[in-house]
Amino acid sequence: MTYPSPRLDPERLEELNKCFEKGRNGEVELSDVVGMAELMVGSMQHFFEGLDSSIYRELRDIAKYLASAKEDIRSLQAHDIKNKRIPEVGKELDEIVKSTEDATNVIMEQAERIMAADTQDTQAYRGEVNDAVTQIFEACAFQDLTGQRIGKIVEALNFIDSRIGRLANALGKTEGKAILTEEEASREKRRQELLTNGPQSEEHAISQGEVDEVMLRDETAQAAEEDAPSQEDIDAMFA
Amino acid sequence: MPVDLSMPVLVVDDYKTMIRIIRNLLKQLGFENVDDATDGSDALTKLRDKKYGLVISDWNMEPMTGYELLKEVRSDDDLSRTPFIMVTAESKTENVIAAKKAGVNNYIVKPFNAATLKNKIEAVFGD
Repeated sequence: MTYPSPRLDPERLEELNKCFEKGRNGEVELSDVVGMAELMVGSMQHFFEGLDSSIYRELRDIAKYLASAKEDIRSLQAHDIKNKRIPEVGKELDEIVKSTEDATNVIMEQAERIMAADTQDTQAYRGEVNDAVTQIFEACAFQDLTGQRIGKIVEALNFIDSRIGRLANALGKTEGKAILTEEEASREKRRQELLTNGPQSEEHAISQGEVDEVMLRDETAQAAEEDAPSQEDIDAMFA
Repeated sequence: MPVDLSMPVLVVDDYKTMIRIIRNLLKQLGFENVDDATDGSDALTKLRDKKYGLVISDWNMEPMTGYELLKEVRSDDDLSRTPFIMVTAESKTENVIAAKKAGVNNYIVKPFNAATLKNKIEAVFGD
Protein backbone atom coordinates (compact mmCIF):
# COMPACT_ATOMS: atom_id res chain seq x y z
CA MET A 1 0.00 0.00 0.00
CA THR A 2 1.34 3.43 -0.91
CA TYR A 3 0.52 6.60 1.00
CA PRO A 4 0.23 10.07 -0.54
CA SER A 5 2.96 12.46 0.56
CA PRO A 6 1.75 14.73 3.39
CA ARG A 7 1.10 18.37 2.50
CA LEU A 8 0.64 21.02 5.18
CA ASP A 9 -1.89 23.77 4.61
CA PRO A 10 0.01 27.16 4.71
CA GLU A 11 -2.72 28.77 6.89
CA ARG A 12 -2.49 25.97 9.44
CA LEU A 13 1.29 26.19 9.31
CA GLU A 14 0.99 29.85 10.29
CA GLU A 15 -1.25 28.94 13.27
CA LEU A 16 1.22 26.24 14.29
CA ASN A 17 4.06 28.79 14.16
CA LYS A 18 2.07 31.07 16.49
CA CYS A 19 1.67 28.19 18.93
CA PHE A 20 5.40 27.44 18.86
CA GLU A 21 6.10 31.15 19.44
CA LYS A 22 3.82 31.10 22.52
CA GLY A 23 5.70 28.02 23.70
CA ARG A 24 9.03 29.81 23.42
CA ASN A 25 7.57 32.63 25.55
CA GLY A 26 6.41 30.11 28.16
CA GLU A 27 2.71 30.98 27.71
CA VAL A 28 1.48 27.54 26.71
CA GLU A 29 -1.61 26.20 28.42
CA LEU A 30 -3.17 22.75 28.28
CA SER A 31 -5.86 24.00 25.92
CA ASP A 32 -3.08 25.26 23.55
CA VAL A 33 -1.52 21.80 23.48
CA VAL A 34 -4.86 20.22 22.66
CA GLY A 35 -5.41 22.95 20.05
CA MET A 36 -2.01 22.22 18.51
CA ALA A 37 -2.78 18.54 18.31
CA GLU A 38 -6.08 19.42 16.65
CA LEU A 39 -4.25 21.67 14.15
CA MET A 40 -1.71 18.98 13.39
CA VAL A 41 -4.46 16.49 12.69
CA GLY A 42 -6.35 19.08 10.59
CA SER A 43 -3.27 20.08 8.60
CA MET A 44 -2.81 16.49 7.51
CA GLN A 45 -6.29 16.39 5.97
CA HIS A 46 -5.01 15.97 2.39
CA PHE A 47 -2.86 13.12 3.55
CA PHE A 48 -5.75 11.46 5.33
CA GLU A 49 -8.02 11.79 2.32
CA GLY A 50 -5.72 9.52 0.39
CA LEU A 51 -5.88 6.84 3.05
CA ASP A 52 -8.31 4.06 3.47
CA SER A 53 -11.72 5.57 4.41
CA SER A 54 -11.98 3.55 7.65
CA ILE A 55 -8.65 4.92 8.86
CA TYR A 56 -9.81 8.35 7.81
CA ARG A 57 -12.95 7.96 9.90
CA GLU A 58 -10.86 6.88 12.89
CA LEU A 59 -8.64 9.92 12.56
CA ARG A 60 -11.63 12.21 12.09
CA ASP A 61 -13.08 10.82 15.34
CA ILE A 62 -9.76 11.54 17.07
CA ALA A 63 -9.90 15.11 15.78
CA LYS A 64 -13.49 15.43 17.05
CA TYR A 65 -12.48 13.99 20.41
CA LEU A 66 -9.62 16.47 20.67
CA ALA A 67 -11.94 19.36 19.81
CA SER A 68 -14.41 18.22 22.46
CA ALA A 69 -11.62 17.74 25.06
CA LYS A 70 -10.45 21.27 24.30
CA GLU A 71 -13.96 22.55 24.93
CA ASP A 72 -14.20 20.60 28.20
CA ILE A 73 -10.85 21.97 29.38
CA ARG A 74 -12.01 25.47 28.52
CA SER A 75 -15.24 24.97 30.49
CA LEU A 76 -13.19 23.78 33.50
CA GLN A 77 -12.16 27.45 33.94
CA ALA A 78 -8.87 26.34 35.49
CA HIS A 79 -7.57 29.91 35.69
CA ASP A 80 -10.66 31.05 37.54
CA ILE A 81 -10.36 28.13 39.98
CA LYS A 82 -6.63 28.63 40.56
CA ASN A 83 -6.52 32.42 40.69
CA LYS A 84 -9.88 33.27 42.21
CA ARG A 85 -11.86 30.43 43.81
CA ILE A 86 -9.05 28.63 45.71
CA PRO A 87 -7.46 31.85 47.11
CA GLU A 88 -10.94 33.01 48.20
CA VAL A 89 -11.51 29.73 50.05
CA GLY A 90 -8.10 30.12 51.73
CA LYS A 91 -8.92 33.68 52.82
CA GLU A 92 -12.31 32.67 54.22
CA LEU A 93 -10.74 29.81 56.17
CA ASP A 94 -8.07 32.15 57.59
CA GLU A 95 -10.83 34.54 58.67
CA ILE A 96 -12.72 31.70 60.35
CA VAL A 97 -9.61 30.61 62.26
CA LYS A 98 -8.95 34.21 63.32
CA SER A 99 -12.51 34.99 64.38
CA THR A 100 -12.91 31.78 66.39
CA GLU A 101 -9.53 32.40 68.04
CA ASP A 102 -10.44 36.02 68.87
CA ALA A 103 -13.81 34.98 70.27
CA THR A 104 -12.28 32.18 72.34
CA ASN A 105 -9.73 34.59 73.79
CA VAL A 106 -12.42 37.11 74.75
CA ILE A 107 -14.58 34.40 76.33
CA MET A 108 -11.65 32.96 78.27
CA GLU A 109 -10.43 36.37 79.41
CA GLN A 110 -13.88 37.20 80.76
CA ALA A 111 -14.24 33.77 82.41
CA GLU A 112 -10.83 34.26 84.06
CA ARG A 113 -11.95 37.75 85.12
CA ILE A 114 -15.02 36.27 86.86
CA MET A 115 -12.89 33.58 88.53
CA ALA A 116 -10.45 36.20 89.83
CA ALA A 117 -13.08 38.78 90.88
CA ASP A 118 -13.22 39.86 94.53
CA THR A 119 -16.41 38.53 96.12
CA GLN A 120 -16.17 40.67 99.26
CA ASP A 121 -17.98 43.68 97.80
CA THR A 122 -21.19 42.10 96.51
CA GLN A 123 -22.31 45.09 94.45
CA ALA A 124 -18.92 45.53 92.73
CA TYR A 125 -18.73 41.77 92.15
CA ARG A 126 -22.18 41.78 90.54
CA GLY A 127 -21.17 44.66 88.23
CA GLU A 128 -17.97 42.82 87.30
CA VAL A 129 -19.83 39.59 86.49
CA ASN A 130 -22.54 41.41 84.48
CA ASP A 131 -19.94 43.23 82.41
CA ALA A 132 -17.96 40.02 81.77
CA VAL A 133 -21.09 38.08 80.80
CA THR A 134 -22.13 40.83 78.37
CA GLN A 135 -18.73 40.63 76.68
CA ILE A 136 -19.09 36.84 76.44
CA PHE A 137 -22.46 37.24 74.71
CA GLU A 138 -20.96 39.76 72.28
CA ALA A 139 -18.05 37.48 71.48
CA CYS A 140 -20.47 34.66 70.60
CA ALA A 141 -21.62 36.71 67.58
CA PHE A 142 -18.70 35.16 65.70
CA GLN A 143 -20.87 32.07 65.13
CA ASP A 144 -23.19 33.93 62.72
CA LEU A 145 -20.30 35.31 60.62
CA THR A 146 -18.53 31.96 60.64
CA GLY A 147 -21.68 30.26 59.36
CA GLN A 148 -21.89 32.72 56.47
CA ARG A 149 -18.20 32.28 55.60
CA ILE A 150 -18.58 28.50 55.63
CA GLY A 151 -21.54 28.89 53.27
CA LYS A 152 -19.28 30.76 50.80
CA ILE A 153 -16.62 28.06 51.07
CA VAL A 154 -19.15 25.30 50.39
CA GLU A 155 -20.39 27.22 47.33
CA ALA A 156 -16.84 27.56 45.94
CA LEU A 157 -16.08 23.89 46.59
CA ASN A 158 -19.30 22.85 44.85
CA PHE A 159 -18.30 24.96 41.83
CA ILE A 160 -14.85 23.30 41.66
CA ASP A 161 -16.34 19.85 42.25
CA SER A 162 -18.88 20.22 39.44
CA ARG A 163 -16.27 21.45 36.92
CA ILE A 164 -13.75 18.72 37.75
CA GLY A 165 -16.48 16.07 37.78
CA ARG A 166 -17.65 17.18 34.34
CA LEU A 167 -14.11 17.01 32.94
CA ALA A 168 -13.48 13.61 34.52
CA ASN A 169 -16.69 12.30 32.95
CA ALA A 170 -15.80 13.79 29.56
CA LEU A 171 -12.37 12.14 29.65
CA GLY A 172 -13.96 8.89 30.79
CA LYS A 173 -11.63 8.58 33.75
CA THR A 174 -13.26 8.69 37.14
CA GLU A 175 -11.04 6.34 39.07
CA GLY A 176 -7.35 5.64 39.36
CA LYS A 177 -4.42 5.95 41.66
CA ALA A 178 -3.59 9.53 42.57
CA ILE A 179 -0.12 10.60 41.54
CA LEU A 180 1.60 12.15 44.55
CA THR A 181 4.65 14.38 44.51
CA GLU A 182 7.64 13.22 46.56
CA GLU A 183 6.75 15.69 49.32
CA GLU A 184 3.10 14.63 49.37
CA ALA A 185 4.08 10.94 49.46
CA SER A 186 6.46 11.58 52.34
CA ARG A 187 3.77 13.51 54.27
CA GLU A 188 1.25 10.72 53.65
CA LYS A 189 3.75 8.07 54.84
CA ARG A 190 4.42 10.05 58.04
CA ARG A 191 0.69 10.53 58.59
CA GLN A 192 0.10 6.76 58.32
CA GLU A 193 3.07 5.80 60.51
CA LEU A 194 2.22 8.28 63.26
CA LEU A 195 -1.54 7.77 62.99
CA THR A 196 -2.26 11.48 62.69
CA ASN A 197 -5.78 11.04 61.38
CA GLY A 198 -7.14 14.26 62.88
CA PRO A 199 -10.67 14.73 64.21
CA GLN A 200 -13.26 12.29 62.89
CA SER A 201 -16.88 12.94 62.00
CA GLU A 202 -19.40 12.09 64.71
CA GLU A 203 -20.30 8.98 62.73
CA HIS A 204 -16.74 7.61 62.80
CA ALA A 205 -15.32 9.01 66.05
CA ILE A 206 -15.33 6.80 69.13
CA SER A 207 -16.72 8.16 72.38
CA GLN A 208 -14.90 8.59 75.68
CA GLY A 209 -16.79 5.53 76.92
CA GLU A 210 -15.44 3.43 74.04
CA VAL A 211 -11.92 4.78 74.67
CA ASP A 212 -12.23 3.74 78.32
CA GLU A 213 -13.32 0.25 77.24
CA VAL A 214 -10.25 -0.12 75.02
CA MET A 215 -8.00 1.15 77.82
CA LEU A 216 -9.46 -1.35 80.28
CA ARG A 217 -9.63 -4.29 77.84
CA ASP A 218 -7.55 -7.31 78.71
CA GLU A 219 -4.29 -7.33 76.67
CA THR A 220 -4.55 -11.04 75.79
CA ALA A 221 -8.12 -10.73 74.60
CA GLN A 222 -7.16 -7.66 72.60
CA ALA A 223 -4.25 -9.44 70.92
CA ALA A 224 -6.50 -12.41 70.11
CA GLU A 225 -9.12 -10.05 68.72
CA GLU A 226 -6.54 -8.34 66.50
CA ASP A 227 -5.25 -11.69 65.23
CA ALA A 228 -8.72 -13.14 64.69
CA PRO A 229 -9.78 -13.24 61.05
CA SER A 230 -12.67 -10.97 60.09
CA GLN A 231 -15.78 -12.29 58.30
CA GLU A 232 -14.29 -10.85 55.09
CA ASP A 233 -11.09 -12.87 55.63
CA ILE A 234 -13.16 -16.03 56.24
CA ASP A 235 -15.29 -15.36 53.13
CA ALA A 236 -12.10 -14.90 51.10
CA MET A 237 -10.92 -18.36 52.23
CA PHE A 238 -14.08 -19.98 50.84
CA ALA A 239 -14.28 -17.93 47.67
CA MET B 1 -3.06 7.19 96.68
CA PRO B 2 -4.29 10.82 96.83
CA VAL B 3 -3.21 13.04 93.97
CA ASP B 4 -0.36 15.33 94.97
CA LEU B 5 -1.64 18.76 93.88
CA SER B 6 1.79 20.34 94.34
CA MET B 7 3.48 18.14 91.72
CA PRO B 8 4.68 19.85 88.54
CA VAL B 9 2.46 19.11 85.53
CA LEU B 10 3.57 19.56 81.93
CA VAL B 11 0.85 20.38 79.38
CA VAL B 12 1.87 19.82 75.74
CA ASP B 13 -0.26 21.28 72.94
CA ASP B 14 0.45 23.31 69.81
CA TYR B 15 -2.69 25.41 70.36
CA LYS B 16 -2.18 28.13 72.94
CA THR B 17 -5.95 28.25 73.53
CA MET B 18 -6.02 24.56 74.48
CA ILE B 19 -3.05 25.06 76.82
CA ARG B 20 -4.99 27.90 78.44
CA ILE B 21 -8.14 25.76 78.78
CA ILE B 22 -6.24 22.84 80.36
CA ARG B 23 -4.28 25.21 82.64
CA ASN B 24 -7.55 26.76 83.89
CA LEU B 25 -9.15 23.35 84.43
CA LEU B 26 -6.06 22.15 86.33
CA LYS B 27 -6.14 25.34 88.39
CA GLN B 28 -9.77 24.64 89.30
CA LEU B 29 -8.75 21.12 90.33
CA GLY B 30 -6.11 22.63 92.60
CA PHE B 31 -2.92 22.19 90.55
CA GLU B 32 -0.78 25.33 90.79
CA ASN B 33 2.52 24.12 89.36
CA VAL B 34 1.79 23.86 85.63
CA ASP B 35 4.25 24.34 82.76
CA ASP B 36 3.59 24.05 79.04
CA ALA B 37 5.31 23.07 75.80
CA THR B 38 4.20 23.51 72.19
CA ASP B 39 5.33 20.17 70.71
CA GLY B 40 7.01 16.88 71.55
CA SER B 41 10.60 18.01 71.20
CA ASP B 42 10.02 21.14 73.32
CA ALA B 43 8.38 18.91 75.93
CA LEU B 44 11.25 16.41 75.88
CA THR B 45 13.75 19.20 76.58
CA LYS B 46 11.64 20.40 79.52
CA LEU B 47 11.19 16.85 80.85
CA ARG B 48 14.98 16.35 80.85
CA ASP B 49 15.50 19.66 82.68
CA LYS B 50 12.90 19.23 85.43
CA LYS B 51 11.13 16.33 87.10
CA TYR B 52 7.41 16.34 86.31
CA GLY B 53 4.75 14.34 88.13
CA LEU B 54 2.40 14.20 85.14
CA VAL B 55 2.45 14.88 81.39
CA ILE B 56 -0.79 15.81 79.61
CA SER B 57 -0.14 15.80 75.87
CA ASP B 58 -1.92 16.35 72.57
CA TRP B 59 -1.19 13.83 69.77
CA ASN B 60 -1.08 15.79 66.51
CA MET B 61 1.83 18.25 66.70
CA GLU B 62 4.86 19.10 64.57
CA PRO B 63 7.75 18.46 64.37
CA MET B 64 7.38 15.81 67.09
CA THR B 65 3.94 14.34 67.75
CA GLY B 66 2.60 13.39 71.17
CA TYR B 67 2.79 9.72 70.13
CA GLU B 68 6.51 10.07 69.37
CA LEU B 69 6.96 11.95 72.66
CA LEU B 70 5.26 9.10 74.54
CA LYS B 71 7.59 6.53 72.92
CA GLU B 72 10.64 8.70 73.69
CA VAL B 73 9.55 9.09 77.33
CA ARG B 74 8.93 5.35 77.76
CA SER B 75 12.32 4.46 76.25
CA ASP B 76 14.24 6.90 78.47
CA ASP B 77 15.36 5.30 81.77
CA ASP B 78 15.01 8.57 83.69
CA LEU B 79 11.55 9.41 82.35
CA SER B 80 9.96 6.03 81.68
CA ARG B 81 7.82 6.03 84.85
CA THR B 82 6.36 9.51 84.32
CA PRO B 83 2.53 9.29 84.19
CA PHE B 84 1.32 10.27 80.73
CA ILE B 85 -2.22 11.19 79.67
CA MET B 86 -3.05 11.74 76.01
CA VAL B 87 -5.68 14.46 75.39
CA THR B 88 -6.44 14.46 71.71
CA ALA B 89 -8.92 14.78 68.85
CA GLU B 90 -7.53 11.50 67.45
CA SER B 91 -10.65 9.46 67.99
CA LYS B 92 -9.99 6.22 66.12
CA THR B 93 -9.68 2.91 67.95
CA GLU B 94 -6.30 2.29 66.28
CA ASN B 95 -4.95 5.44 67.95
CA VAL B 96 -6.11 4.35 71.41
CA ILE B 97 -4.63 0.86 70.90
CA ALA B 98 -1.33 2.28 69.62
CA ALA B 99 -1.10 4.69 72.57
CA LYS B 100 -1.92 1.91 75.01
CA LYS B 101 0.76 -0.33 73.49
CA ALA B 102 3.24 2.56 73.72
CA GLY B 103 2.50 2.82 77.45
CA VAL B 104 0.04 5.68 77.87
CA ASN B 105 -1.63 5.79 81.31
CA ASN B 106 -4.92 7.22 80.10
CA TYR B 107 -6.56 8.67 77.00
CA ILE B 108 -9.04 11.54 76.72
CA VAL B 109 -10.81 12.48 73.49
CA LYS B 110 -11.47 16.12 72.69
CA PRO B 111 -13.80 17.83 73.31
CA PHE B 112 -13.73 16.89 76.98
CA ASN B 113 -14.96 18.37 80.24
CA ALA B 114 -13.46 19.11 83.65
CA ALA B 115 -15.04 16.00 85.20
CA THR B 116 -13.39 13.70 82.61
CA LEU B 117 -9.99 15.31 83.17
CA LYS B 118 -10.41 14.96 86.93
CA ASN B 119 -11.53 11.31 86.67
CA LYS B 120 -8.64 10.34 84.42
CA ILE B 121 -6.02 12.05 86.59
CA GLU B 122 -7.47 10.29 89.63
CA ALA B 123 -7.51 6.96 87.77
CA VAL B 124 -3.83 7.35 86.84
CA PHE B 125 -2.86 7.94 90.45
CA GLY B 126 -5.20 5.22 91.70
CA ASP B 127 -7.23 7.63 93.82
